[in-house]
Amino acid sequence: MNDHQWIQSAKNGDEDAYAELVRRHSGGLHRAVARILADDTEAWDVVQIAFLKAWQKLDRYNPRYSFSTWLYRIGTNLAIDFLRSRSSRERAHKAGTEQRLRLVGTGEGAGARADSSEADNVLQQLVGVLTPQQRSAFVLREMEGLETAEVAEVLGCSATTVRNHIFQARKALRRELRVRFPEYLPASERG
Amino acid sequence: MNCEIFREMIGSYVDETLEESRRLWFRTHLRECSTCRESALRKEPSLLFAMAPAAPSEPEAIEACAAAVVGRIRQDRLERRLHQRRRPWLAAAAAAIMVVSGGLAWRTMTGGLSGTLQPVVEAQRNSDLQHASPTVEVEMAGEEVRVYQFANDEDADTAIYFIVDPALEL
Repeated sequence: MNDHQWIQSAKNGDEDAYAELVRRHSGGLHRAVARILADDTEAWDVVQIAFLKAWQKLDRYNPRYSFSTWLYRIGTNLAIDFLRSRSSRERAHKAGTEQRLRLVGTGEGAGARADSSEADNVLQQLVGVLTPQQRSAFVLREMEGLETAEVAEVLGCSATTVRNHIFQARKALRRELRVRFPEYLPASERG
Repeated sequence: MNCEIFREMIGSYVDETLEESRRLWFRTHLRECSTCRESALRKEPSLLFAMAPAAPSEPEAIEACAAAVVGRIRQDRLERRLHQRRRPWLAAAAAAIMVVSGGLAWRTMTGGLSGTLQPVVEAQRNSDLQHASPTVEVEMAGEEVRVYQFANDEDADTAIYFIVDPALEL
C-alpha cells in the first residue's frame, strides 16, 4: 500500500493504518527535527506531537502535497515554537554548559575525512548562532536535501525567502567555523 | 573529468543557482571524493554540512514512537467518550446544587434552619458505594483498558468511572 491508501484508511478511523504511516515517516522527520533542535531526545517528543496533530487534522490534509512535506511542515513549526520557548532557558546557563567538541580530525585536512556524524556534531555546536527559521531552512535544504520549493512549502514562505535564510545561515556558519573549528579548514585557511 | 566539473559547480551550488538534478549529483560527489571535498571546503567551509547523509533511525525508537502515538490517540478517544457520558451527571449535579441552595436559602429566610446539617446525604452515599458492585461499562476490544462503573441501578447519573488495566485484579 502507498501513503495515499494508508491515509485513506486512517481517515476512516483505522489507527493501525496510521501507525504504519508513523513507522514510515517518523525516522526522517526525527532526523530533521533533531538537527533543528540539536537534541535527539526532545526531537522524539516533537515528532510524537507532530503525528498527533496530523491525526487531528487529517481531514484537512491536501493530497496535492506529499504526506512527508505536510508532516515536515507540522514538525518544523513545532520545532521552531520549541526553540523560541527554550531560548530564554538556554540563555540562563549557556555560558556554563557550552562544551568544546572533542574533534576527531585535528590534523592536516580534517575536513576531507569528516563524516556525517562529525558534521552533525559540529552543527550541534554552531546551530545556536542561527535564528529558528535559518536553522530550519538550512537543515531541510542543505542536510536533508529538500528542494527549495519544498522548503518554502514547509516553512510557509517564498522560495526567495528560503534562499535568503540559507544565504544568511551559510554566512554565519562560515564565520563560526573559521573561529571555532579551524581543524575543518584546509591548512592554508587556518590562522 | 567529474572532479573538474564538480569544482566548476561549487560557486553555483553555494549561490543556490544550480538546478536540482545537478545539485543532487554535486552532493553525491562531495561525499564520495575526498580530493574534491578538500577543495570544496577550502572555497566554502559550510559545505561540511552537505556531507551529512541520512543517518538511519533506530527501528526500536520508531516502533516506540508509533506505539506512543496510537496509544495517545486511543486514550483521547476514550476520554472524549467518558466526557460525553459525564455531561448528564454534571447537569444533574448542577440541578441538585441549585435545589439544595434554594432550599437552604428558603429555610434561612423562614428561620427554619437551626444547628448544623446532619451528614445524612454522605452516609447514604457511603452506604450505596459499599453495596454497589462494579459493572463493566465500556470494554474496548483490542485496547488494554476497561472502564468500570460503580453505581446503583436506579441512579445512573451518579456513576463513578474507573479506567482499569485488565492485567490488574479488582
